[in-house]
Amino acid sequence: MSVKRFFIFAPILLIIVLLQSYFWEPTYEEQTKGNPARLTEYITGSIGDASLLNPVLAADSSSGTINGLVFEGLIDRDKDLRFRGRVAKSWEIFEQAFFYVNPSARIPKLGIVDGASLAKLIKRAQKTSTTVDPDLTASLKRITNISVIPPRTYTVEKSIKKSAGGRPKTIRFKVTAPARIKLVLNQVDQHLFQNLTRLVGKKYFESFNGRDYLTCDARLSEKQWAVFAKELMPATEHNPILLFHLRPGVKFHDGYPVGAEDVKFTYEAIMNPKNLSPVIANYEPVKTVEVIDPLTVKIIYKRLYSPALSTWGIGILPKHLLDSQALKKEAAGLGKDPKTFSIRQSAFNRHPVGCGPFKFQTWKSDQYIILDRFHDYWEGPPNYHQYVYRIIPDPLTQEMEFYAGTLDSYSVEPHQVKRLEKDPRFQHFSGTSFGYTYIGYNERRKPFDDPRVRRALGMAIDVNKIIKYVLYGQGERITGPFVKQTDYYDHKIKPLPYDPEGALKLLAAAGWKRNKAGYLEKNGKPFEFTLITNNGNELRKAVLAIAQDAWKQIGIDVRTDILEWSVFLQERIYKLDFDAVVLGWGMDIEPDLFQIWHSSQTHPYQLNFVGFKNKKADDLIIRIRQEYNHNRQVELCHKLHAIIAELQPYTFLYVGKWTAVLDKRIVIKTVDASGAVQYKKITPTKTGDYTYYFNQWVKLPQVPSFMDKG
Amino acid sequence: MNHAEKHIDASDYIEAPLAPKRTRLQAFGRMLKQNRLAALGFFIFVLFFLCAVTGLILTSGTKPLFNPAMVRLEEKLRPPLSKPNLKALRPDQVPVLNVYLMGTDDLGRDVFARMLQGAWVSLTVGFVAVGISVFIGIFMGGIAGYFGQHHIKTIHILFCLCLIGGIGLIWINAASAGTALLLLCLSSIVFLLSARDKLPEKARPVWKGILLGNAVSVDTLIMRIVDIMLCFPSFFLILTVVALLPASIYNIMIVIGLTSWMGTTRFVRAEFLSLREQDFVAAAKALGIGNFRIIFRHIMPNAVAPVLVSATIGIATAILTEAGLSFLGFGVPPPHATWGNILSDGKNFIFDAPWLTFIPGIAILIVVLSFNLFGEGLRDILNPKLRERH
Amino acid sequence: MLSFIGRSVIQKTITLFFVSIVSFLIIHLAPGKPSQVNPMNPKFTPEILERFQKEFHLDKPLYVQYLYFYRDLFTGKTVSWKDNQSVLLKIWERFLNSLPLFIVGTLITWTLSFPVGIRSAIHRGGIYDRTATFLSYLLISIPGFFFAYILIIFVVNHFHVPVIGMETFGITNASIAHMIMDRIWHLLLPSVLGATGGIAILSRYVRSQMLEVEGQDYIRTAKAKGLTPDQVHYKHAFRNALLPFVTMFGLILPGLIGGSVIIETIFSWPGMGRMAYEAILARDYPVILTVNFVSAALVLAGTFVSDLLYLVVDPRIRL
Repeated sequence: MSVKRFFIFAPILLIIVLLQSYFWEPTYEEQTKGNPARLTEYITGSIGDASLLNPVLAADSSSGTINGLVFEGLIDRDKDLRFRGRVAKSWEIFEQAFFYVNPSARIPKLGIVDGASLAKLIKRAQKTSTTVDPDLTASLKRITNISVIPPRTYTVEKSIKKSAGGRPKTIRFKVTAPARIKLVLNQVDQHLFQNLTRLVGKKYFESFNGRDYLTCDARLSEKQWAVFAKELMPATEHNPILLFHLRPGVKFHDGYPVGAEDVKFTYEAIMNPKNLSPVIANYEPVKTVEVIDPLTVKIIYKRLYSPALSTWGIGILPKHLLDSQALKKEAAGLGKDPKTFSIRQSAFNRHPVGCGPFKFQTWKSDQYIILDRFHDYWEGPPNYHQYVYRIIPDPLTQEMEFYAGTLDSYSVEPHQVKRLEKDPRFQHFSGTSFGYTYIGYNERRKPFDDPRVRRALGMAIDVNKIIKYVLYGQGERITGPFVKQTDYYDHKIKPLPYDPEGALKLLAAAGWKRNKAGYLEKNGKPFEFTLITNNGNELRKAVLAIAQDAWKQIGIDVRTDILEWSVFLQERIYKLDFDAVVLGWGMDIEPDLFQIWHSSQTHPYQLNFVGFKNKKADDLIIRIRQEYNHNRQVELCHKLHAIIAELQPYTFLYVGKWTAVLDKRIVIKTVDASGAVQYKKITPTKTGDYTYYFNQWVKLPQVPSFMDKG
Repeated sequence: MNHAEKHIDASDYIEAPLAPKRTRLQAFGRMLKQNRLAALGFFIFVLFFLCAVTGLILTSGTKPLFNPAMVRLEEKLRPPLSKPNLKALRPDQVPVLNVYLMGTDDLGRDVFARMLQGAWVSLTVGFVAVGISVFIGIFMGGIAGYFGQHHIKTIHILFCLCLIGGIGLIWINAASAGTALLLLCLSSIVFLLSARDKLPEKARPVWKGILLGNAVSVDTLIMRIVDIMLCFPSFFLILTVVALLPASIYNIMIVIGLTSWMGTTRFVRAEFLSLREQDFVAAAKALGIGNFRIIFRHIMPNAVAPVLVSATIGIATAILTEAGLSFLGFGVPPPHATWGNILSDGKNFIFDAPWLTFIPGIAILIVVLSFNLFGEGLRDILNPKLRERH
Repeated sequence: MLSFIGRSVIQKTITLFFVSIVSFLIIHLAPGKPSQVNPMNPKFTPEILERFQKEFHLDKPLYVQYLYFYRDLFTGKTVSWKDNQSVLLKIWERFLNSLPLFIVGTLITWTLSFPVGIRSAIHRGGIYDRTATFLSYLLISIPGFFFAYILIIFVVNHFHVPVIGMETFGITNASIAHMIMDRIWHLLLPSVLGATGGIAILSRYVRSQMLEVEGQDYIRTAKAKGLTPDQVHYKHAFRNALLPFVTMFGLILPGLIGGSVIIETIFSWPGMGRMAYEAILARDYPVILTVNFVSAALVLAGTFVSDLLYLVVDPRIRL
């Protein structure tokens, strides 16, 4: 009896308790039910969790987003994509250049001269206002200081590997260096030495043979000698210098002031091999970082490197929390071995301290990260009290949460853009991404070594259709490897037309004819290959299916395969074991394409995995890296763009547009001098970045009515 | 007065009333009549099978009647029973019957054709996976049940270990081939020694006694293997293997099969344990029939009942598992269609194109339901304890 | 009794040992290497991968790695490769998250299946039985994620309330009552989904056990004696049918570690299932192996407990 009653009441009670909790829940319309603080929080969602909250160590985009709010760098880009100072108030770019006095070269009219006389010669040339050569005059005008380094003898140790996989051996070089002239310029001048040859003779630098001044205790081959001679005794050397003047009064979240010591420490942390920093390649050209005073830091580079300035947008680490003393203390506290304890193991990565507008509060793994606003931020504290970063792996549930009012922004899938743009509850923003999607062909395998074949394959696919139907119009064609919004991209180059007939003609010219079954074949071998991509990306799956179908129409038998991400990368891409692949690149604005397109990067585990090798392109890539003049850089980039578009190592498909929707109740709030509060609508910048004024955003309980000028 | 006594023959005896004989088929038919749901299940199962076979015929080949892989980007996400836009399509792209019976998906492919193709794939996945698991299960269960009390000698275990170790080392190329061969030689020597030993137990030296002694019984060994397999959460095991191997329909089938034979083994072993003591087995042994023939020809048909039940339910589970794997992104690669694929591809469009989710979802529901009902019906009829009393 | 326990423990330890070896082999023989550095960043170099391998002993032979791993596991020092946190700590955290889901799910399952199963058995063949049977089959057959999406969309579209995650955002500033109720609401949908399959299977099992017991002679005697139906069913039949369920308590243990990956992904519930799934994708070997080891240990412990309970509860069994 009682058992029976128990069986009846227990479930009913349970169900009632569970269901009544619904009535306590806040809805989209009434988000503040029981919780007025909701308006001061900005909640955003992400598919993946952050991994390391340390700008020097993290490589994924989620960590990047949080690091962008918690940390701040010396500079960043403003809404017109020009550099603006953040922690740095201002900066200067100049250089110092060196060249050796060549004791065997004859200077016209003077013969062989020593260092001091050479210096005098240059000084005199500066003073004479009329010289035949305007370039030389310009270069000379830039020189602010000339000095002579006397000859000296020293030894250098290097390590080489005797054979592949052998143990490294240390060898010693004895260098008897002749006198060296040091020139300090007020601007970086990459043509300095070419211009100086008009003064000191054409062959002055060319005829300098570094090998004459080196002796080694081991026997080396000719190739090795050439490499070491260039490294240890170069005829000329450029050392560009970046001098940053830091803003006074910038503090870390724990109150410590930010100084030049922290900048130097950040650099050392990046270069420290124990830390395994993924951005180490960006800072490799740095020779030294010098602290001149607590608010001035001088960075000297080993060679011409035009992307240098942009690399200093990286967040600055606090030295007092992560230097070797602090790490030793932490290691001792945790009972770990101090010798192997590096920044990677530090608890700092889960509880970061930076100098950005938001300071870290909590991180619950795979759930959320909460940041509070930093009251002592040098530009003034942001309007939002809290920034919440929620981790929701499923895009559909992100959408659900957005409709329920527990997410403030949502990045829209292409097929939903139309529907959500019309929804009166939301405001939307779109822009073009930095990056592109492409089909890459492995040029080491036939028939992809023939550019006509690659071109024909590209012409067989109707990319406009892909953009119209797969992306729902949320994309644009792209023809080359640069970011479309920058001027490095040559907009005059036309994309490949959709022309299956023309494709067939090109393939016929390359020797491929249709056989009886309707498939293409050459010398009895049919045209077939496998197209692969990674899983988890719906757009790439669609491209796979469309490309397969398009190529089937012109008689090519293509099999497709979708692989899991790390297997895809490790077993196929990095081992160069693929025919054709659908992939994408996410890029930076800087036009440095060395790792993707230079012919030296075609080995396994490197990024030029399609095997693109072209001497002219190599040359252009190196020159772009060394070119400091923006207009000349643009010219070089256009040339490179034309070469790549002609040879079609990739079939460039499209660059996607992103759209984000926000609750309409989020607006920009500004307080003018008289204390009057104004609300403005959020408008995106030229490049579509709508979060530029994020620190001024605020959420109101109702949608306000805007003034005319907003 | 009777001058001739009649012969008494069998027909003069009054036959005692016997229970009416029923063949299996008749029992089956009776079950279907009694248990409506099971009948429904069986009926749907037959329908599904026919659909799958016709679907395979209709959608395979280079110029199929219903083309499941034809991409028509202009016709994305059209609702069911909508007419195609004849102006935008090439003549070979227009669907048969001039209507999209179940609409199109986000690449413009005909959902009806994909469902037909998927039916066959789902059926194959279910049957092959269950086939593998049943085969392994029957084999292991039979051996465990029949030979249960036989013991494996230590020497045999050592031999196997050395062999596996040697082969493994050669395969990984880890140690030098010399060590591997040495192990193989050692194991073979040891084995030969054991075979030639004819001394009675008491006269053996101690080490030989240990080596030749009984280590573990076959039953324990097989049951321990089953335990080990049971320790791995099956979905994770499947997920691990499928995530790490290249995606292909065969891998999925094999992996699902390899991770679900444990239940069958247990049932078969239990049945064998009881059936082994029956008289017909003793009779067979007395006749001199070999062991394996007894297992597979005599005992097995009687032990098959629970296996059948778990097989039908296993097919249902395999189809659901495949759908789950597709949902997580590890299903059969395109352009093959399976119902799980269509369902998980369609989930992104659940607001814009709900038919992409509902059609395969409901189809899976109905088919799996039918298998489950049929299996439960089989269990009801094959379990004597649950029969109704008259 | 004691000898049984002793033998059991030894056998289970040996099994655990073999399980650890097998899981180790499976993980390491699978293709693909751990990916910690994001390769889509064009500044990635292979030296980093090399250093990473050295640090985690990946270049040593397999048996050495095995010993290193298990030494670290038992001293509690294993560290996840993805984010350098202690594995045991991570598992414990996730376990605490999965626990309420598990408890509520089990509560719903057990409190609902018994009444339904018993009633089905008592009124066998009636409308209640047939409807319950049909609904059970329906619930077993529906694909989990399909059902989840339908429910979520229904609730969100009609009620505009959040259903994802463990609690609504920002609710920490509200009163305690709100917070507790909010947690309960968020527990509702996922545990209902997790419980559906369980209810269906368990109620069928209850029904079949009850039917088996009700067919026995002593129940007929009880009815003939003139006891009320309630006494017959609940006092006599139910107690005896309860036997196998007592042992099933032991088998609940492994359910603690397993969590449905699909439900946790859909509801972004930070539980064990999702952690193990992501670890598999990222080849985070320490996490995978530890979860495997712990779950195997729990399975073996669970079977041990259920064997023991069976011994205790059923007077017919004496070992």
